[in-house]
Amino acid sequence: MKRIKIKENHFVLHPSGAVFWEEQKTLLLADVHLGKVAHFRKNGIAVPRKAEGAFYQKITALLAEFPIARFLFLGDLFHSFQNNEWLLFTAWVKQQKASMVLVEGNHDVIPAAQFEEIGLQVVDQLMEEGFYFSHFPTKKETHFVFCGHVHPGVKLKGSGLQQMKMPCFFQSPQQMILPAFGAFTGLHILTPKEGDQVYVNTGKEVTEIRENKI
Amino acid sequence: MTTVRQWFKAQGWTPQAFQKDCWKAYGEGKNGMLHAPTGSGKTFALWGGILQEALKIKKHPVGIQALWITPLRALAVEIQQATQRMTSELHPDLNIAMRTGDTSQSERAKQKRKPSFGLVTTPESLHVLLSTKDHPKSFQHLKVIVVDEWHELLGTKRGVQVELTIAYLRSFFPELKVWGISATLGDKDLAREILLGPIENYVTVNAQIKKKIKVKSILPKNMESFPWRGHLGIHLLPQVLKLVQKNKTTLIFTNTRAQCEIWFHRLLEADSNLAGSIAMHHGSIDKKIRLWVEDALRQEQLKVVVCTSSLDLGVDFSPVENCVQIGSPKGVGRFIQRAGRSGHRPKAGSTIHFLPTHAMELIESVALQRGIEQQQIEDRIPFLNSYDVLLQFLMTLAVGKGFQPKELFPILQNTFCFQTLDEERWQWLLNFLVKGSQSLEHYDEYKKVNVLEDGTLKVLNKGIAMRHRLSMGTIVSDANLKIRYQKGGYLGTVEEWFVAKLKPGDVFTFSGRNLELIRMHNMEVIVRKSKSKKSRIPAWMGGRMSFSAHLSDLLKQALCEERNLETPEFKALAPVFYQQQRESIIPQPNQFLIERFQTREGYHTVFYPFEGYAIHEAMASLMAYRVSLLSPITFSMSFNDYGFELLSDQPFAKDDFLDNNLLTLDHLHEDLEKSINVSEMARRRFRDIAVISGLVFQGFPNKPIKAKHLQSGSQLFYDVFKDYEPDNLLYQQALEETFDHGMENGRMTQVFENIAGQEIIWRDCSQPTPFSFPLITDRIRSKLSSESVEDRIKKMYLQLEKAGE
Repeated sequence: MKRIKIKENHFVLHPSGAVFWEEQKTLLLADVHLGKVAHFRKNGIAVPRKAEGAFYQKITALLAEFPIARFLFLGDLFHSFQNNEWLLFTAWVKQQKASMVLVEGNHDVIPAAQFEEIGLQVVDQLMEEGFYFSHFPTKKETHFVFCGHVHPGVKLKGSGLQQMKMPCFFQSPQQMILPAFGAFTGLHILTPKEGDQVYVNTGKEVTEIRENKI
Repeated sequence: MTTVRQWFKAQGWTPQAFQKDCWKAYGEGKNGMLHAPTGSGKTFALWGGILQEALKIKKHPVGIQALWITPLRALAVEIQQATQRMTSELHPDLNIAMRTGDTSQSERAKQKRKPSFGLVTTPESLHVLLSTKDHPKSFQHLKVIVVDEWHELLGTKRGVQVELTIAYLRSFFPELKVWGISATLGDKDLAREILLGPIENYVTVNAQIKKKIKVKSILPKNMESFPWRGHLGIHLLPQVLKLVQKNKTTLIFTNTRAQCEIWFHRLLEADSNLAGSIAMHHGSIDKKIRLWVEDALRQEQLKVVVCTSSLDLGVDFSPVENCVQIGSPKGVGRFIQRAGRSGHRPKAGSTIHFLPTHAMELIESVALQRGIEQQQIEDRIPFLNSYDVLLQFLMTLAVGKGFQPKELFPILQNTFCFQTLDEERWQWLLNFLVKGSQSLEHYDEYKKVNVLEDGTLKVLNKGIAMRHRLSMGTIVSDANLKIRYQKGGYLGTVEEWFVAKLKPGDVFTFSGRNLELIRMHNMEVIVRKSKSKKSRIPAWMGGRMSFSAHLSDLLKQALCEERNLETPEFKALAPVFYQQQRESIIPQPNQFLIERFQTREGYHTVFYPFEGYAIHEAMASLMAYRVSLLSPITFSMSFNDYGFELLSDQPFAKDDFLDNNLLTLDHLHEDLEKSINVSEMARRRFRDIAVISGLVFQGFPNKPIKAKHLQSGSQLFYDVFKDYEPDNLLYQQALEETFDHGMENGRMTQVFENIAGQEIIWRDCSQPTPFSFPLITDRIRSKLSSESVEDRIKKMYLQLEKAGE
């Protein structure tokens, strides 16, 4: 776990891949890709079903750890069209006291009306307290951006020709890209520039990584 | 009507003993295996038998009677032409067709309407035929299956495909004859048993032909400047150019497509007169260009062709006078095969020039020459329980006619590959296809294969059937993209991961041209010609092969045999040997050498078992595992055919290593199994398994990807199986294959038995030795660690994007 400060607000980068915004009691989640496993299975590709259940386990643990008043999904909540996973999700939403907002992503092909019907607010982007929340990475002069979409990872190097690819929270001066929260999602490797900050997520720990050393 | 013998006479040929033997055995209704080298007239030995029988009948029924399976498309063209010529002259009504991945849609439709007497095809294309609904009818007149170059298929998953096809077709037509043609193998009985199955009525025919093969090493004038590592061999280009200029036609064999592109370029650069008479041939080049090159070779229009294994087999290019092999051919078999490209006429001798790309390969050259004296190629390790190939085969049947599990099960048990398949695992596979898991779960919507009322398993969903049809075949590659000029005209294919690294405007070399990337569109790479001198060369994956056991034995002998000291190769090596002995030793048969030295990169520990790449890969993992039990440590490993290296950021002590007897034979099996689980070795094997079994869908060729949201990498599957379903048979197959191929039929045990009788010599060196150099500079590496991820990360750093990029 790593606690950082941006624009006088405090954010906890959690090993689950979520970010907790303390001042607003809001949990940020990007790229959950619910129903991805079901979608593959429906098309004859046998991904183990257990891989899908990881979402609910992880979220239950987070609810016990933080006083969450609001869930803010940064897009790609559902992987594809509706399948039975939708029913599971609906049942889960009904049990929650916290409010829910979905910033739409490219995979969200389920109509907004259906999300609204079960109580989610659906928006294209969200602006709050000098922060801008969207699915896609973007540049805003006045706002700090939180986004997803990329499934960011980095390549680490060490002596003895060691190399590792790890998922990460990828922060540049005006933007933070969250790692994918969903299981079975893959990585896209980014190369940091001067001024970027990388918090690698091992699933157990979030660690800030030293840059360069050439 | 003329007989086969008369036809031979008319050609001015005298039948050889093995040809007559084949004709006779075939006439007696026998199955068989013919061992004969390429270019010996083996095609006529089998086809003569088939024709002799066909000539007895005047009016033939419409339908395929003879199937000829070849491993290579280029070879299929040759066989079709040769057999058609002979057939036309003896029985003008009979035709021979060809069906490969290159066959056009219209040609396929024609073959379906009007099947010919004979069909020359590849294992993959034959499976496509089995995926049609009426295949039992289209094969109802089938009399014989001939499998050509069986040694090339044996020990590959394509070989498993052939086993399945034969067992399946034989279940419909018990009278079906099966013949194999193979180079001479050590274990002939095994090769026969795998192909022919458990039958009694067979013969083995051996062609007693010794081809004279001369090997000449291309040596530099000055050994002092000879590189200790590298794989290109460009420094010897002037000598190669001289050979090219001296001969009418030269074939230059390279081991990878990238190497092929580079040599083509450099030759043309060095001698612009070659323009117009130099060409390139590799598997990624568009078929039209490939066929043109093959044709131009026959017409004697080309002076030099740079090629990869795509021109290895059978193809008869009589004008070729001269062959050059660049870098290690990795096996005696392949070397003989390639040498056979020149002087491709029965009894004519062949010459091949061997170009060592680094000093160590000179030792190999000597070993190869000794291997050729014995005229025997290496044995292949057959695959067992390839569930991925079986699942693909079951799907192939399920998208066509469908299959009855009860009927199919005993047929499968009759194949060599699945002889130990039991009811339990058979049920697992059926569940995998029908339910996608082993237990029925609530909410699950899995759809693939349906069970019909009569118990037949059949695919009803059209999308699933189409995806399977498009991804059939066991040769695995990354998603391939077509390269096309903006104005039209295809150049070939390149793997997606290479293009993914390019930006529009970047220049790369392909098919000998410098091309600028304009954009990527619908699985096509649109390019224009570029004048830019700077360009990238695409690399193609999967080019790495291991030394055979056979060649490793030869190599070990070569190192210590007195007589070799007088060879030009060893004389040339003298400065290298001198340097090696100054820092370390040249190990003798009773010595096992370990070297330790430190560089900027960390602590190198190098072992020299001389057992070949495959054994060293497993051994490196095993040794790393054993050392990692002493204390938390992380290794990066490299291996080649001579030895392997363990590199770490902290040293492990010599005394700890020796006192704990880490080279022991005890617990070899358990330790290797554990090291496979800890290391990532099985991950690479899983890549093929995921594609073959249909988990990873590679997209539609020539069509925009419609499989939206369905693409995922094999690595991701590996991780979810490992985490959520470790008893999955496909995941288990990856571990078992890694283990089996690491153990190599007990060879690993022998290796450790040998070591037990050897003196272990640990040398602390002040700098890297010549023997170690190719290893420590190799960037293709594996890793194994007993440190936690969290601890390792704390020691690591990020590399920033360079300014200006």
